Amino acid sequence: MTVVNQRGSLPGSPRLSLRPSLVVPVLAVAFAAVVGLSLIAMIGVSVPKAVAAFVDGTIGSPFALAASLNRSSVFALVGFGFVLANRANLTNVGGEGQIAVGGIAATAVALYGHVSGSPLGLAFVLPTLAAVIAGGLWGGLAAVLKVKSGTNEVISTLLLSFIGVWLLYWSVQSPALLRKPMTSSATLPESLEIPDATQLPLLTGDYSFPVHVGLPLTLILAIVVSVILSRTTLGFRLRAVGLNPVAARRAGISYAKTVVFALSTAGALGGLAGALMLLGEQYTLKDGFSSGYGFDGLVAGLLSRGSIPGVIAASLLFGFMRSGGINMEMVAAVPTALVVVIQGLIVITLAGASLFIEKLERR
Amino acid sequence: MSTSLPRSVDAVAEPLLSLSQVTKRFGNFAALSEVSLDLRDGEVHCILGENGAGKSTLCNVIFGVHRPDGGVMRYRGAPFDPAGPADALGQGIAMVHQHFSLVGDLSVVDNVLLGRERGILNRKECARQLERIAAEYGLPLDPFAKIEELSVGERQRVEIVKCLIRNPRLFVLDEPTAVLLPDEIAALLDVCRRVAASGRAVVLVTHKLAEIKKVADRVTVLRGGRTVATSDDPAGDIGALVRAMIQGNVEALDSSAASILGLEPVTHVGHEPAAKTRIEVLQIDGLSVKDSQGVTRLDNFTLTVDRGEIVGVAGVEGNGQSELTAVLSGMMEATEGRIHLGEIDLTRRSPKEITAAGVGIVPEDRHAVGCVLGMSLAENIYLNRLDEFTRFGFLNRTALEREATSLMQRFDVRARGPAALFSSLSGGNQQKAVLAREMTLPNLSCLVAAQPTRGLDVGAVAAVYGHIRDACKRGIAVLLVSSELDELLTVADRIVVLYRGRVMGSCPADPKRKEAIGAMMAGQPQ
Repeated sequence: MTVVNQRGSLPGSPRLSLRPSLVVPVLAVAFAAVVGLSLIAMIGVSVPKAVAAFVDGTIGSPFALAASLNRSSVFALVGFGFVLANRANLTNVGGEGQIAVGGIAATAVALYGHVSGSPLGLAFVLPTLAAVIAGGLWGGLAAVLKVKSGTNEVISTLLLSFIGVWLLYWSVQSPALLRKPMTSSATLPESLEIPDATQLPLLTGDYSFPVHVGLPLTLILAIVVSVILSRTTLGFRLRAVGLNPVAARRAGISYAKTVVFALSTAGALGGLAGALMLLGEQYTLKDGFSSGYGFDGLVAGLLSRGSIPGVIAASLLFGFMRSGGINMEMVAAVPTALVVVIQGLIVITLAGASLFIEKLERR
Repeated sequence: MSTSLPRSVDAVAEPLLSLSQVTKRFGNFAALSEVSLDLRDGEVHCILGENGAGKSTLCNVIFGVHRPDGGVMRYRGAPFDPAGPADALGQGIAMVHQHFSLVGDLSVVDNVLLGRERGILNRKECARQLERIAAEYGLPLDPFAKIEELSVGERQRVEIVKCLIRNPRLFVLDEPTAVLLPDEIAALLDVCRRVAASGRAVVLVTHKLAEIKKVADRVTVLRGGRTVATSDDPAGDIGALVRAMIQGNVEALDSSAASILGLEPVTHVGHEPAAKTRIEVLQIDGLSVKDSQGVTRLDNFTLTVDRGEIVGVAGVEGNGQSELTAVLSGMMEATEGRIHLGEIDLTRRSPKEITAAGVGIVPEDRHAVGCVLGMSLAENIYLNRLDEFTRFGFLNRTALEREATSLMQRFDVRARGPAALFSSLSGGNQQKAVLAREMTLPNLSCLVAAQPTRGLDVGAVAAVYGHIRDACKRGIAVLLVSSELDELLTVADRIVVLYRGRVMGSCPADPKRKEAIGAMMAGQPQ
């Protein structure tokens, strides 16, 4: 006699079903950290020294903490856009290009003669808006391609990213565009520094803790995006189109409008991220401006599995890891690449673990 | 009907496969609870039950797709716990699923060889085997025809041969007759008898009583995941079996539903036309449709449906019915012709405009077009009327669910509540929800229903007919597209027959004309 129950009971065991959504990420991060530390040990760097440098770079000083938070805001904005578009079953992988065009637009408007003299904070609001519009158009372009000719948005947003990044390169290389006037052969290919008035105000007004208004803005947008997705008819339409575009069309929901809204909003959030980076931290537009943040934000969106708090958690994790990694390289001579490796490990472990759990629960 | 061979005491003591107290849960939902069943060599054992009764789950447990959460299975005298379908196949259990798993681009032989052979394929040998089985069981097939050239009935024969070539001891067929034409059904039942006569056990899942009368040696009835009745003399016990299946009174059953089930001969349950004078509501004039390859799918189709009239569109599937409903619902563009609803021109209008004009659409493919499975019941019921629940862009979910609850009561949609996930509902309740949505349009004047009872159980079929008749009494013009001729004969007032996209003819829905209509469906003008 075989009691079939014996083997079949594994999936329902209480230990695994206890909030896997919380346990799994923690285990994945711990696993990746252990692997990362072993790698550090293997390249012959003192582990305590590296850890100290990492901690120092994340929360070791008000400045480090602020830098980490600012970086997390950028990731989170791109992640929100990813989640929003993903509700309509669209995958926006164009964050990098949307950041780049946002940066270009913000720089161009900030450097435009009259803007810095605008009253009522318009000096920094106008360049920000320009970045939002530029990013929105960049995302909207992919939407139009999808609606008109069925181009897959994964391909179009990715290729538009390359175009955006190279547009940025061109604009800082060409004196006719944004490159600062060449006074000597040593003049770097970058823009002029934007005027003080166009820089984003700091929360404390103190450069030793330079968190700018982008952080509260991001938190407000987190609430706005959550509400759009869960409470509004707009969010409902995104979901309907994402789950069954044919039935949505039959019910009178416009596929084209929904796709354009989703991708241009995602693009606008990417553009805003670009504005925060330029107007809040870097102040000059340089080659390599977007520094892969568009892709980190994309990963934050992917890992969140559609939840806004999930995006925030992943963005904080990546923001602090980036900061810590940079400091580890400077102080303990651990290559930053290692942090990217650890980040990749976290992603793979998380994805693998969720797959494993789903498989367990299926049968 | 246990007229079969006298069985030895051993055979009765140890059936081929026995299930006792088998339970299978999905989350909190028990799809099977303590189901017991035994299958003997050489019998056709029918599993009868309405949709959602657990029939498919039971098959999947036997075939190793699902592992039971409790209970014991024994097969050929030993404990049985298949690790998966491959394991069950290896032990001599074969299954034909509801949905075919054939590769359209490949030939019959290649499909049969798929997954069985490695290395060099011996097509000739396989074709010889195929022909032997075909002759033995009466399953004629061209081994080298491509699947996509075959009719649905022929494709099913391929699935059956694919199983028989493995020489199974136990042969499971999950609702195999749902997609077949009447003569194909008869042929399939004949195959079941022959397979059983060769000493194998056949499990036939169905909800059609006519099939049970014809073929079953024994019957097990499931309802709500439990065994509620068994019979060794199905033909004699048919009334009791129906009562067990639908838990109700057979006499109270809608007579058109009863005739579809095979309980009664087909009779026309007509009604007096609502209006003495004809008022044309839906006018379709010279409608032609070409598909994306430029092939004409609907050719110069002309039809009017009056106020309070039910017009049936008959035809073997694939003769332009899908295109007709797609064009009427705004999902496809007509190449030529016009559609009017009274004075309103509905030619080439969007789905939204068509809904606004007062045309309700019950699409033939419920899951692809009719609903969003991943959304809630309430959301699906008001999918096309969200604006009524929107203020300043915000969706008033409380009002939405309240309204949906009242419609759920009116249309007898059974679910945990308005927030239940649509995919968790049974097919019948899903269809009732689609009807609720389409029939409560504020200015409904025309209803287009395509295959509205496909895959539904008796109770749901009766409910759907009831709603269609109600609509008709309210003076709504109904266009009913169906490939079940009996359905049209009982429900419709008038029938037009489609053949290769053209109207082959039309006549009153009179059961006496069944043969003439059948001939028109086959392309012979009468």
